[in-house]
Amino acid sequence: MVLIRYLIASFRVKQIICTASLLCLLIPPPTWATSWRSDIQASQLNFAPSYEGLPINGDFKEFAVIYTTDQEGEPEDLSVSVLVASADLGNSELNTEIRAAKWFNITAFPEAKFSCQEFTTDNNGKVFAHGELQIKGYKKPVTVPFSWRLLTTGEAVMRGELMLARNSFSIGSDEWASGDQIGLAVKVWFDVVLNPINPSL
Amino acid sequence: MGIKNTSQQWGWLSKVLHWLTALIIFLQIPLGFYAESLRLSPLKMDMFVWHKSLGMLVFLLLVIRLLWRIKGTIPQSLSASGAQKCISQAAHWLLYGLMAVLPISGWIISSAANIPIKLFWLIPLPAIVGPDESLKSVAAELHHISVLVLVAVLILHIGAALRHHLLMQDNTMRRMWF
Ligand code: HEM
Ligand code: HEM
Repeated sequence: MVLIRYLIASFRVKQIICTASLLCLLIPPPTWATSWRSDIQASQLNFAPSYEGLPINGDFKEFAVIYTTDQEGEPEDLSVSVLVASADLGNSELNTEIRAAKWFNITAFPEAKFSCQEFTTDNNGKVFAHGELQIKGYKKPVTVPFSWRLLTTGEAVMRGELMLARNSFSIGSDEWASGDQIGLAVKVWFDVVLNPINPSL
Repeated sequence: MGIKNTSQQWGWLSKVLHWLTALIIFLQIPLGFYAESLRLSPLKMDMFVWHKSLGMLVFLLLVIRLLWRIKGTIPQSLSASGAQKCISQAAHWLLYGLMAVLPISGWIISSAANIPIKLFWLIPLPAIVGPDESLKSVAAELHHISVLVLVAVLILHIGAALRHHLLMQDNTMRRMWF
């Protein structure tokens, strides 16, 4: 009797172990949130104020984007920091002017920041980052739309375009405030290449 | 007075083009110096819209003028000596050349400086070159030297016109006037 019971029990244990290991195989392996960092050499952050309705194309030479996606690959966190003093409008006279107090006031506000934890996506997979933009001491809610594409090389590309109202940040004050010559709307567009930052376990 | 030039007379089209250009150039030179002297401000930008618009207008008038000149005749020079004819011809062609070099160098300065141009606040003029700081300096130098040459040649030109009118008392000035 004892022997029989033992045999049955051990059979059950085996069964349990087998089922458990099978179940284990069905559960996907654990994943982690991935963070991405911009490759400054390969990335571009452009801006274009308008003069009499025509664009003056410029860019920021120094900026960094850190983007985090969660286990499901959904956007979780986006933070962008821009060295305002690296703004280049392709003309030394303009570059001096925009660094001054009436425009970016770089001595007091050398950095601009965008940070976002709230995202929506549309049917085409376009992501909308509803975050906060901080320039020249002003913080404003701003939505940055972008497309996100993984490359076969393991990098990812983030692209988008938006319009900002320079008067919301008091960029171009006094005689420039009206927007008559230098328009109030400034186009901003970016093409950022990002590399995954290996998760440190 | 007909529209066409004859061997004796300037037609009205040539006269209008000459005097309209002359008027704009006389505005253009002080305007250029004034606009350049201003600090960067809305006023400076407006002054440059005028300067660039009028300057490109000179260029347009020049093109019409040269086409008209090639298609028709021009009155014979009333200068006595061959040397004088030669000098006056050289001066006229130099003036024509400057009326091309000034607007084109100005256009290059603006484009190389990454500043878009809207003529008379209405017509966008496309960039002729991409942003380029060193090209901008070269074009600005050329523009400046051209201004100096223009002023010198104009002194000669106006002096010669006055000499014909007051000293030689010939028809040169009268046939260019209305
Ligand atoms: C008060 C100012 C000026 C006076 C009195 C004046 C007078 C004259 C006269 C009398 C002629 C006719 C010459 C002839 O028939 O042989 C002439 C021709 C000419 N003028 Fe002027 N001019 C003046 C300003 C200018 C200006 C500002 C320009 C351009 C920058 C200019 C460019 C020319 C040219 C290119 C011709 C030659 C036309 C041709 O042969 O195709 N003039 N000018
Ligand atoms: C008949 C034609 C023109 C004349 C007589 C003229 C004359 C002048 C003068 C006297 C100046 C100031 C002194 C100097 O820097 O040389 C100047 C500057 C200037 N002109 Fe013109 N100009 C003409 C056409 C144009 C055009 C068509 C443009 C642009 C589309 C232009 C753009 C400029 C600019 C940008 C400057 C400032 C130069 C600098 O920053 O150094 N000009 N011009």
